[in-house]
Order: sequence, then C-alpha cells, then structure tokens
Amino acid sequence: MTFRTRLLLIVTVAVVTSVCLVEWLVSATTRERFERLETQRVDALVAQFRSEYERRRLEIARAVNGIAASDTAVNIAAKTDYSTFYADAASLAAAHGLDLLELVAADGSIISSAEWPARFGYKEDWLTSRSNVSPLDWLARGAFLRREELPDGVTLAIEAVGVATAGDRLIYVVGGQRLDRAFLSTLALPAGMRALLYRNLQPQFTPSELIGGDDAADLRPLIERVERDKREAGALIGAGASAETVHALPLAGLDDNLLGVLLVASARRELVEMEAFLLKLGIAFASFGIVLGLALSGWATARITRPVKRLAESARKVAAGNWGATVEVVTADEIGQLAQAFNRMTHELVEQRERLVQSERVAAWRELARRLAHELKNPLFPLQITVENMRRAREQYPDQFDEVFREGSSTLLAELANLRQIVSRFSDFAKMPAPAMHPVQLNDIAAETVKLFAPQLEQAHITARTELSPNLRTIMADPEQLSRVMRNLTLNAIDAMPKGGTLTIRTMPHEEGVRLEVADTGQGLTPEECERLFTPYYTTKTHGTGLGLAIVQSVVSDHRGRISVASEPGRGASFRIDLS
Amino acid sequence: MRISAFILTACLLSAGAYAATRPRYGGILRVELRAPFETSDPPQSGFGIVDLSHGFQINLWEGGRRAIFNADDNAPGGRPFLDSVEIQLSRPLREQSLDLETGKADLIELGPNEIRRAPAGRKTWSSQPVRIIALAFNPRADDARVREALALAVDRATIWTVILQRQGEVSAALLPQWLSGYAFLFPTAADLPRARSLAAGAKPLTLAVGDPMLRTIADRIQLNARDAGITLTVAPSGSPADIRLLEVRVPSTDPARSLAALASAFGLPEPPHTDSPEALYAAERALLEERRVIPLFHLPDVYAVSPRVKGGPGISPLGEWKFGDLWVEAPRP
Repeated sequence: MTFRTRLLLIVTVAVVTSVCLVEWLVSATTRERFERLETQRVDALVAQFRSEYERRRLEIARAVNGIAASDTAVNIAAKTDYSTFYADAASLAAAHGLDLLELVAADGSIISSAEWPARFGYKEDWLTSRSNVSPLDWLARGAFLRREELPDGVTLAIEAVGVATAGDRLIYVVGGQRLDRAFLSTLALPAGMRALLYRNLQPQFTPSELIGGDDAADLRPLIERVERDKREAGALIGAGASAETVHALPLAGLDDNLLGVLLVASARRELVEMEAFLLKLGIAFASFGIVLGLALSGWATARITRPVKRLAESARKVAAGNWGATVEVVTADEIGQLAQAFNRMTHELVEQRERLVQSERVAAWRELARRLAHELKNPLFPLQITVENMRRAREQYPDQFDEVFREGSSTLLAELANLRQIVSRFSDFAKMPAPAMHPVQLNDIAAETVKLFAPQLEQAHITARTELSPNLRTIMADPEQLSRVMRNLTLNAIDAMPKGGTLTIRTMPHEEGVRLEVADTGQGLTPEECERLFTPYYTTKTHGTGLGLAIVQSVVSDHRGRISVASEPGRGASFRIDLS
Repeated sequence: MRISAFILTACLLSAGAYAATRPRYGGILRVELRAPFETSDPPQSGFGIVDLSHGFQINLWEGGRRAIFNADDNAPGGRPFLDSVEIQLSRPLREQSLDLETGKADLIELGPNEIRRAPAGRKTWSSQPVRIIALAFNPRADDARVREALALAVDRATIWTVILQRQGEVSAALLPQWLSGYAFLFPTAADLPRARSLAAGAKPLTLAVGDPMLRTIADRIQLNARDAGITLTVAPSGSPADIRLLEVRVPSTDPARSLAALASAFGLPEPPHTDSPEALYAAERALLEERRVIPLFHLPDVYAVSPRVKGGPGISPLGEWKFGDLWVEAPRP
C-alpha cells in the first residue's frame, strides 16, 4: 500500500467517521427532543383525562345528590310500599343525564333500577355491608369507580351515592355514568395519539374489554403489568413506523381494587419518519462528504506525496548506483527539510564513496604489493641462494663450479619460470576482456566441465553428480568466460574436498533466467570467510593467489548476474549463480 | 275479587254518566292503540278493530299509522250513534296517556305503569283477565327437570306486585279463575331450593320475547332463573329459542272451547271436550303436567276513557269493542 493510498484511507476514514458522528448526534438529539415532546403530550393527555374524570365525578355526585334531594326521592323514601316506584329510576336518570341510577331501600334492596328494571328487590350489599360507613359518609365520599352489573354483562362506571331522607326513613340513590367509548371520545386527542380503556371486569384478561382499539394482544403484557404492580407503566408497542409509546394508568375502585387501565398511546410514526429522513439526509451528506473528502484528500495527498515520491525516486537512483541523484527542494516545510537532508546525505555518500574507493584502492595496492612481495619472495629466495652458491662455488670450489653452475642455472630457470607464471596470472586478472555475448546453453557448459575434470575428480575420489534441468532456456553470455567460471568453481570444490566427496552441479530455471549451483561436501566456510571470499587476492588455500573467485565474480558481474555462497563449517559450500 | 269490584265501579260510573246525559248521533271517537297492525288490510280475526265490523265500515286504512271507520247506516242493529271511529296505531302507552290528558284522544290503552300514574278519578273500562301470559317450551327442550326447575324458580307474586302493579291475577292455570273456577288449584308459589336442586347441570337456555311490554317480565324471569342456577338468555322474538314468553287471549266464555283454543295456541295436545268442571280440570292438569307451558298471569284489557265518551262500557268481559252504543259529547263552548 502506497503512502498516498494510506493517507487517502486515513482521510476517508476521518471524513466518514466525522459524518457518521454528526449524523448520530443529530439523530440522538432529535430522538431525545421527540421523546420529551411525546412525554409532554402524554402527560397533557393524562392530565386531561384526570381533569375530565374529576369533572365527571363532580357532575355525577352533583346529579345524584340533586336526585336525592328531589321531592320525588323524598316522597319515595317516605313510603312503605315501594312497588309502585319500580320504574321511576329510568325517568329520573334520563332527566339528570345519568346512564345508571338505582333507588335502593335502607336495607339494600333495589326499589327501582334504570339500567336493569327487572332487578328490583335484589340487594346491593356493598352499599349496606360497610359497617364503618354511615349513610351520610357517602355524601362526603363523592363519585368513585365501580364495576356495575347489567343485563347484557358488566360495565365500568363512575358512580356516586346520595341519601334521600324523610323523617327517620331513608333511601339510597346510586347513580353514575358508564366509563366507555363515549367517555373516551370526550378527550381532545392530539394528532397521532389515542386513548384506550381496558375494563378489568373479568377474572382473566379479556380482549373485548379493551375500548378504543383492537390491538388487545399487543397491549396485554403492559396491561397485565399494571394489574400486577398497580402503578403506572409504559412500553413501546409494535415496531417500525407503526410502533406506539403507550402509557398505562391504573384506575382504582372503591376498595382500591384495580377496575380499569387507561392507555394513552402516542404514535411514533412521525419520529420514525423523521429518523428515516435524517438517515437519508445523513447518508446523502455522508456520500457527498466522502466524495468531496476523497477528492480533496486525493488532491492534498498528491500535493503532499509528490515531494515524497521524488525523494523515493532519488533514493531508488541512489540504490541503483547513481549516488549523485538529488531532490529539488521546493518548500521549507518538513518535506523540504527531508529533501535537503537527502541531498546532504547523497552528497556525503558520494564523498564517502570516493574516500572509500581511494582507501580501498590504497588497500588493494597494499594487498597487491603484499601478495606480490609474498609471491615474488618465494622464488627470489632460491634465486638468491643459488646465485650465492654459484659465487661461493666459483671462489672456493672452482673444480665443482661447473656442476654447481649447471644445477644452479636449472634452478634459476625453474624459479624464473615460476616468476613468469606469477606475473602471467596477475596479468590475466588485469586483462579481463569484455564478454562476447552469444546464445549459450548452460547445461552444455556444465556437462563439458564435468567431462573435462573427470580424471582429476576420479583421482581425488570425488563423485560428480549433475542435475541439469531440461527446461533451461538459452541465455546470452560469453561461453568462454562462463566455462572459466565453471572451471574455477570446480577447481575450488576439488580443493575443498581433499579427502574426497561429492560434487553436485545443478541447473534450473530461475525467474526470467537460469540458475547454476556448484556444491561440494567439503569442510565448508565460516561466515567471515564467506564475506571475504570474493575479495581479490583473498584465499584460504596455501597455494592459491586469491584471484579465482574474484575472476568468477568479475565475470558474473560483467553478465549482469548475481553470485552468492551458502555454507556452514563441516557441511560443504554451495555457490549459486543467477543469470538472465 | 279486586278486579270484579273494579269493573263494578266502572260500570256504576258509566251508568251514572248514561243517566246524566242523552244519547245523540254524531261525533268522532278518537282511539289510540299501541299495536301497529302493519298490514295492507284491516285484521279479520281477533279482538278490538275486528269488532268494529258490527256497525261500522272501513273508510281509511293505513297500516301502522291510522284507520277510520264510519258508521254504517244500514247496520243490522241500527246505526251507531258515532259518526266515525278514528284509530291511531303504533302509539306508545306513555304518549297515549298524555294525549288523553290533553284531549287529543278519547279512548286509550292502559299499561301497568299508566295505571299507577293515572290520576285519581280517571274513567276506565276493564275486561275480565282474558290475556294469559305464559312460558312455552320449544318441543326440543326435552329436559323435564329443567322445565320444572324454571316453573318453580319464577317468582310470580313479585312480578305481579311490581311489574304488573297488581293488575290481573297470578295463575299457574291456562283458564282464568273467573272462567274455570279452579285456577287457584294450580300452585303458583316459587320454590327456589327445589328449583336449584332440579336445575343442577342444566344447559343454558334462551328465552324469546316478542312483545316489548313483556320484556321486563322476561328480564325478571332471567334473574329468577339465574338464582336457581339456570343460565337464561333473553333474545328478541324471531330468533330460535328454547322458550318463548307469550301472551294468548282467551277466545270464549266457554271454558272448554277456550281450553282447546289455548292448548292449540301453545302447541299442546287437544284436550277432550267436556262440560264437566272436574273433567275440564283434569284435562287442563294433564295438559300442564309436563310443564311444556308454564302459565304465569292472567291480565285484563284496560282502557282509559275521556269523560266526553258516554254510553259505555264500550268493551265486553272478553275485551270485545262495543262502540255501537257510545256517543261523544260535544266540547263545551
């Protein structure tokens, strides 16, 4: 991954993250505002219900007490036979706007019932069985919620109890209004809100007792929770745009028994739609931001990375050997400082290289001088001795001079030949010609080399093994120089295995070119030896000049190839040449 | 006894009125009825309007609304004093009473509530208890124990006292006491404990009631049944039901004929014809033995009459209209 790509990615991630964060913040804030607004609306509706409920209570209590104080009720209370009044409750209820009205005798038996005319004579025990409640206490109690039995079932009603007295006689007036759909319809509901009433009149949850909605199954858990805990609760019902926040309010009766649950539902459609809109808007903005960010970051990263690329290009040139490569300094920022540092570095590298070359050159000369001195010193010493013997023989033993001269001259000639050979080898190294390129099959050269060295290998008890790849491509190379490389490596291997071993010559395709491996099973090399192996005039042998591997490296280098050695002490060495 | 005294009083009042005024021809008798008679022609059988065929001719018939009968000059018994009888149909009882009080009607029906509310001294005509209110079981209701349980559960006395305002009489017989003389032999008292024991395990029943006037009685019977452990649902007439609450009119002053007609009306087997009171009692007892019909009450036809109407009573003991001798006094100037 390039620096520019990485920079681009970082900027992109930063832009996307920022946009997402802003989107989340806006959504969260909006949701919170909506939730607060919704809570206010629900609270307002609950307050409205309570207000309406209180108003109804007062109205009902007033109406019931009005009936109780009327002449009709007082007259009934004064009578001993109530049978003629059994139908009076209906007309009284209609006149006072009550849904329910019962006239009840002091013993609790119904005189007349508007809601259930046939129920006369039956007892309303709840009215008279409260030992701690006197008839007058009902007046102070006001209206309350009560489960009322009707011919067609049971209903929930707000009822009040009045007392009509005539002397020492009294009757109860029990009147009220149903708490049903009509009552709910009196609530002014804002758009998106609805009020439902669950009448807790059956032993088990009964869906038909839910007034104002047909989603009893969804509301059942909330209703049952309120019934269980007997306190307000809320829940989110449904999902998506059809979801509602439902607030449930318990409605207690005369004995604090839960008779109903008021449910105020607020649709979340608006919120969900707003959230969806914000999401779409966010995605649009994010997309735009990302595209814009990518464009800007592309431009910015290109601007930022251009000098870096130039630096990298110059570094590549330096790596390729062009140590004089420099970078144009166009800015004074960190990149500019880096470019200046690079230029300073390459300048110093050039100077150091020149100093190194000079020092290496001096060292080479010294090594050459040392080697020449060493190589020349060996034949010079016999020459000096031989000449001194010959002079001594001529002065002291003239009679033996001829024989000494003959032997001495032979020795001199031999040593002189040796000197010539030494000079010739140094001359050969100095005169390495440029390679003459021809199509070459490396397998052929390898096979010829093995064949050439077969007698020597046999004499040295070395087994030659060749693993030549049949798929080896023909390369452009100087066959004479490559043969010389093969010979030098083979000779090195033979020298490395004085007690015999196995010489393996291996060829194989490698990348775009070929690979040659010459491996022995000799005593191997130390890492230090491996490092200095290709240094001219370095040798580990007693009789070498240290030029063999230097020549090999020179040839390989002239063929734009690469040579390496892998070795461990005691495990032989393997020379690997890659050519293309 | 109380009803007889009531009728006697009415007759004496009428006789007094007759003695004080002279019959005269002319005048329109305005009658209001609760029944709608939503038919294209006037009824040809039964009581009431049908009785006008003696002395009057139909002039206008608007089923469900009104009818006008004009005096027949060639009537066999002579022309009625009245010129015509105008009948308003489908008029609620409460409004009939108001119309009578405000002079818009001359003859109206009186229900139990209206009797209770009637001002003192109001002129009324009453027949003998000729309408029998009874529960009739559907033939498929084959559980005799449940039938008996319901018969024992109904508290006739309370219904008669409160809902019927003591109008008519409590009865467990088909024929009324005034007609048979033995109706009191059929026990009417409720026995709730026994009803409960008989009703154990009873299946729910439905009770159909056609006449809205009987609805309150049906509701009370429902409560009585509930007290006995019988689940009874009151349903409107026309719906399939196990029991029906019916009102059937005694057609004749002949007990045997009336018993036969009532048995037929209630879907009971035809009783053997006999003139002997003992045999008649035995026949009626046999009819009611299986309690497929549970008689509850016998009620009279009761009308309130404007003081302007003279020459009454205009109904017979069976409740037949006899308007031929009536006349209407002209309003005072």
